Amino acid sequence: MKKKLFIIPLIMLFFQAISIAQPVQRKKAETATKEWRYELECVGIGSQGSYLVKVWSYSKNAKVAIEQAKKNAVHAIVFKGFAGSGQICPSQKALAPEVGVEDKHKDYFEKFFKDGGDYMKYVSVSGDGIPQTIKVGKEYKIGIIVSVMKDALRKDLEAAGVIKGLTSGF
Amino acid sequence: MQKLLKQIGLSVFLLFQFTHAFSQAKKPTIMVVPSDNWCIRNGYVTKFDEMGVVKTVPDYEAAVQGSSDLLLVMSKLNELMAERGFPLKNLESALKSMKGEMAEDALLTSKSGSGVSESPIDRLKKTAKADIIMQITWTINQTGPKRSITFNLQGLDAYSDKQVAGASGTGQQSFSAELPVLLEEAVLTHIDNFNSQLQAHFSDLFENGREITVRIKKFDSWENDLESEYNGEELSSIIEDWFAKNTVKGRFSTSDATENYMLFEQVRIPLYDTNGKAIDAKGFCKGLQKFLNSAPYSITNKLMTKGLGGATIVLGSK
Repeated sequence: MKKKLFIIPLIMLFFQAISIAQPVQRKKAETATKEWRYELECVGIGSQGSYLVKVWSYSKNAKVAIEQAKKNAVHAIVFKGFAGSGQICPSQKALAPEVGVEDKHKDYFEKFFKDGGDYMKYVSVSGDGIPQTIKVGKEYKIGIIVSVMKDALRKDLEAAGVIKGLTSGF
Repeated sequence: MQKLLKQIGLSVFLLFQFTHAFSQAKKPTIMVVPSDNWCIRNGYVTKFDEMGVVKTVPDYEAAVQGSSDLLLVMSKLNELMAERGFPLKNLESALKSMKGEMAEDALLTSKSGSGVSESPIDRLKKTAKADIIMQITWTINQTGPKRSITFNLQGLDAYSDKQVAGASGTGQQSFSAELPVLLEEAVLTHIDNFNSQLQAHFSDLFENGREITVRIKKFDSWENDLESEYNGEELSSIIEDWFAKNTVKGRFSTSDATENYMLFEQVRIPLYDTNGKAIDAKGFCKGLQKFLNSAPYSITNKLMTKGLGGATIVLGSK
């Protein structure tokens, strides 16, 4: 009886620790995105209007890294662009390459990139969705292939006045 | 009552000025054309004898009629550009208009007695009035059973003939993919980089104007030359001053200047005149033509153009 009384708080403590750890990991993953701590590589020609990329994210929690991967892919395509991959695909420039664009439209991007924000509309996991996991020190480096609807994303950014369209000024 | 009418009149005038000043510029027109290299390699050419020298020029009509792959690439590019708000001018329609104009040119030539020396692309530019020519070239690379496509997309400014945008590269090798699939992939791969360079070019146009080339020559029969003085100033300096006043931010460079010939390159002209009409080299040089025709210079002159961005004014006769 005494033993049982001792185990129950321990189990409760364990679940509480998990519930606290997940948001902490998420917060760390958010910081990693803002600090450009992710990698993007082109894996093939996507269907018309999309890019097919593999995004590598870092986290101690594999689940968090997979979730953050979608956000990282959109973040990279908006602000960073990506390097080409030999003959598979050429390098692509960022949709919003202007210096300081993130700060200039801070309110828009905070809303856009919040959890479950509008960025989710433009990204989907491609293929079987099984991530490639590499243990790097205490962290996981997790790679997942996603498809980003860049044409729709560009139109949204143009409509919001974040970037200029090809026809702006005419 | 009179005061009220005056106020209304003034308000209408100010409103007109305001809307005129902030009216939007017209969209540049773009047309897709196969490159000379592609036409020659695929046999879409015409040969003619010019003073004993056999010249080979591309036959665009035969290319459009004979190559389904070319039509596919043009159609795909049109589809993608239309999505970005830039539907392209159709090459076939432009060729039909060009045929009509060539017939008129033939009549004009025999009337004036002087030949018009323009290449097919110059004539096409003039007829289609496309501001940007998207020139496409592709080659099929074969390594054993594997095939790949080397694709080259060039955006040429029809006024200056300079390449203002470009994207090129070789796609992935494939055993099974058919040529149209490879071509479609190539277009999808390169269009974004091409468009981002095109956008940079448009920003430059808005800021610095279009770029053209102007030549000033003289007829042998004219007794004066470009060193002749008017009100104590040489004619060449007078012309340079006119360019300084009428170009955007006074931008032009005098590449060559002798008593018989002047060459102005990188002449930046406004996109539109005061009435909002698009100006090409001809429209811009008409101003100079009038200026030289009027007092105190009263120089009779002849204006000739080449494409949209080349103009020559010959002094001394019509």
